[in-house]
Amino acid sequence: MKITKWTLKQRKWSTLWWSVGLVAYITLTLIFYPSIKNQTAQLDKSFDQIPQSAKALFTDTQDLFTPVGYLSSQLFYLMLPLLLAVLAIGLGSSLIAREEDSGTIELLLSRPVSRSSLLVQKALAGLVILFVVSAVCLLVILGLNNAVGLHIGAEPIAVATLYSFALAALFGAVALAVASTGRAGRLASVGVAAMVGLASYLVASLSSVVSWLEWPAKLAPNHYYHPAEILSGHYEWWPLVGYTAVIAVLLVAAVTSFRRRDIG
Amino acid sequence: MDGAINIQGLSKKYAGSDKFALENLTLSVHPGEVYGFLGPNGAGKSTTIRTLLNFIQPTSGTAQILGLDIVTDSVAIKKSVGYLAGDAVLYPKLTGREFLSYMGDLQPPKHAGYVNELAKRFQAELNMKLRDLSKGNRQKIGLIQAFMHEPAVLVLDEPTSGLDPLMQEEFFKLVRESKARGASIFFSSHNLAEIQKTCDRVGFIRQGKLIAEQVVAEVAATAARTFDITFADVPTRAELRSIAGAKVEMSSPSQATIHLSGDLAPMFRVLARHKVLGINQRELDLEQEFLHFYKGESK
Repeated sequence: MKITKWTLKQRKWSTLWWSVGLVAYITLTLIFYPSIKNQTAQLDKSFDQIPQSAKALFTDTQDLFTPVGYLSSQLFYLMLPLLLAVLAIGLGSSLIAREEDSGTIELLLSRPVSRSSLLVQKALAGLVILFVVSAVCLLVILGLNNAVGLHIGAEPIAVATLYSFALAALFGAVALAVASTGRAGRLASVGVAAMVGLASYLVASLSSVVSWLEWPAKLAPNHYYHPAEILSGHYEWWPLVGYTAVIAVLLVAAVTSFRRRDIG
Repeated sequence: MDGAINIQGLSKKYAGSDKFALENLTLSVHPGEVYGFLGPNGAGKSTTIRTLLNFIQPTSGTAQILGLDIVTDSVAIKKSVGYLAGDAVLYPKLTGREFLSYMGDLQPPKHAGYVNELAKRFQAELNMKLRDLSKGNRQKIGLIQAFMHEPAVLVLDEPTSGLDPLMQEEFFKLVRESKARGASIFFSSHNLAEIQKTCDRVGFIRQGKLIAEQVVAEVAATAARTFDITFADVPTRAELRSIAGAKVEMSSPSQATIHLSGDLAPMFRVLARHKVLGINQRELDLEQEFLHFYKGESK
């Protein structure tokens, strides 16, 4: 796991800055809850005017200003998974690709390290970085939870964060799998992973108001993520198992294409 | 099959190209031999090296390093191989010390302290970030990482590139020492002088094909030698031209320059008939031999 260790060392500053940025974003989002909480009735009335389809894009609950509704719509439904996915896609598209573009990958592969091991170690470094940043987010949310008067259970918040982490890791794995195919893949990896993520989010969100999207939505990872339900304490583990299985398949695909092709 | 490196009919055609970057290359490097791989830019030197290291897959042909197949046994091979890339790309944000520590983690040096010894010999700056070092100083770090685990086989792409003459000498010394402990060294270059200085054999590659392979000592023996001769008397031009294998230029009636291929005896037989004031053999110019092989290249 030496390559994982050194990759983490090389990325420690960017990991720190991502953590700082997300801590700032979460803090700014949650500290407004006490002032909003007192105007719930008025705000609900004005938000009732918004079309259902538009609402579906940023929340999975009708109660936008209850503690669960607020945390879900402001953080867990869109922004946290989105920001973590941006980090994960960035990692997936650069962990191997940057080394390959710069030529430093030859330094690693001239040592007794197999390509499979290199890729797995790099992917593990990416998962650790994503996990650390997610854990920092969780700690901040938990820290502010009672302070701003949300009073949601720690376990549901941890599960929702775990879902966000797993979704982001899945889109990061898409980027890694695409980037592992070669030069064209490296160029396309961010775009393809971002498109998959965006499509998953849009299809899953709009399927509640557009009936013909119901079936394709079943293919979207976001379809199995309902943060408002999770924060209310109703959650299942099998979608996380499913995400893990998809990530594993993507990793196997990445290893398979990376193993026997020309480097560079 | 007992060579340190055996290459049989190795070819490489890159995707999207209809030309072979490397075509039917067959050569071997014997244990303890220093093999110079010489050719102009784009001749296929780096392609050969990158195929040997399994960075790129051969289109056809096979090769073994220490008896192990370069494709299927690549990881095992690398336990015994030191490699330097042509452009010595390193991690810019790491210091030299951090970088060597990273490489040492992946393949620990056999002897503690050897890395520091090499750093001292090359006067390498280990505490600065690699991005702040000049190309020559980065090259030194690249050389250290290739030699630090004292590998049995060294594959080096343009190893002296960017080094000042003093450091080049240190590199040649290191090559001789590695050879003395039994290592085989395969290095590419487009500088014949350094090949002449360090290599036992030289292979000339052009447009992906090995066009000649010679023992360096034999190149010296078979190459035309040049003598500047000053006579006390005046020999006739016809007499000098009668020397077998000689080309003669007269700069004055008593001064001749003779380019001689092959045996020296016929020249000395003619010279013995005259009073010779001085005879000076010019240093063998392998560069000329090189140019001879590459005549077509610039056309």
